[in-house]
Amino acid sequence: MNPEYRDEENLRLLHLRFIGKIIAGFTHEVKNYLAIIKESAGLMEDLIKLGRTSASDSGQNLEIIHLIEEQIEKANVLFRYLNRFAHRMDDQLATFNINESLEELTALVTRFANQKRITIEKDFHESMPLISSNPSLLQFVVYSALEEKIRNLDKNSKIAIQTGVDENRVRIRLVSEGNLIEGEGDATSIPYEVLEKIIKQLGGNISEKNGRETLMMLPLTNS
Amino acid sequence: MSQTKVLLVDDEVEFTLALAERLQLRKYDVRTAGSALEALALIHDRPPDVIILDLKIPGMDGIETLKTIKTLDPSIEVIMLTGHGDAESVEEGIKNGAFEYIMKPVDIGELITKIEKAMVKRESDRRREPGV
Repeated sequence: MNPEYRDEENLRLLHLRFIGKIIAGFTHEVKNYLAIIKESAGLMEDLIKLGRTSASDSGQNLEIIHLIEEQIEKANVLFRYLNRFAHRMDDQLATFNINESLEELTALVTRFANQKRITIEKDFHESMPLISSNPSLLQFVVYSALEEKIRNLDKNSKIAIQTGVDENRVRIRLVSEGNLIEGEGDATSIPYEVLEKIIKQLGGNISEKNGRETLMMLPLTNS
Repeated sequence: MSQTKVLLVDDEVEFTLALAERLQLRKYDVRTAGSALEALALIHDRPPDVIILDLKIPGMDGIETLKTIKTLDPSIEVIMLTGHGDAESVEEGIKNGAFEYIMKPVDIGELITKIEKAMVKRESDRRREPGV
């Protein structure tokens, strides 16, 4: 088999796996919102059956209704992010705002970080220029680097995601803060060489420092 | 007869509070914990009869938490709470002493049936203990 074809096929599989992970995280999160909605509606039903519907009970009843509305709104926001995430795959080359793309990615991966009580802090440059690149592949690289950082960080740590502009290039910087641990071996982790290759394909470069900092530089236009 | 003591362990505060209130309305004595460490402290303080344990709680892996609970007090029955039909974790949980599992969103009737079954098992295990 042609080695180039094999590489391409491998990359496609890794990309699919990334999409699968995002969908799994999304469904988990939505299930949590649904669980809260179901319990809150059930509680309302219990209270009504017990006849607790007088004016003096209205405070608690309204609180439950607001909680249900809040969970529906949270699910709605997540659905919007997932929808945008799905449409990132429409075109191999698109003009987009990196901050927006990282915003939706962060919302979809926060759950994984929370499992280890790792907070993700966003520090985005306010006026990022639009870039022309492959948005889905870029999200794939950032996600893989983030996942690796989560894996190698101890509990109660922090990962900062920063964006910036350097002349005609945009910068994405991921910085870990906290104790580094020997990450558990995970068959699904993406080799660094693959990330390097993708970023190169996108006309940029990626570098790693002390296992704590990943820096990606990308051109405004991938020509 | 004393109230069944239930400990709900899940980091989704709104979920645990609503479910706790529903169980309290059904005369269960319920306490809640948002993390594994909090749960272990509550168990130490006053051991519950049944624990409803989310498998994806922050701070400690759900299975690890289950093992620790069973080491602290093997008589506590644990019902695992899972967001998906995570067959692998459920199987591992059962292997490590969990009594049952229930999927989110929870059906209150199903949960109560499982709590009651857990209480029957707890009582029958207690009777089998030497000297009881």
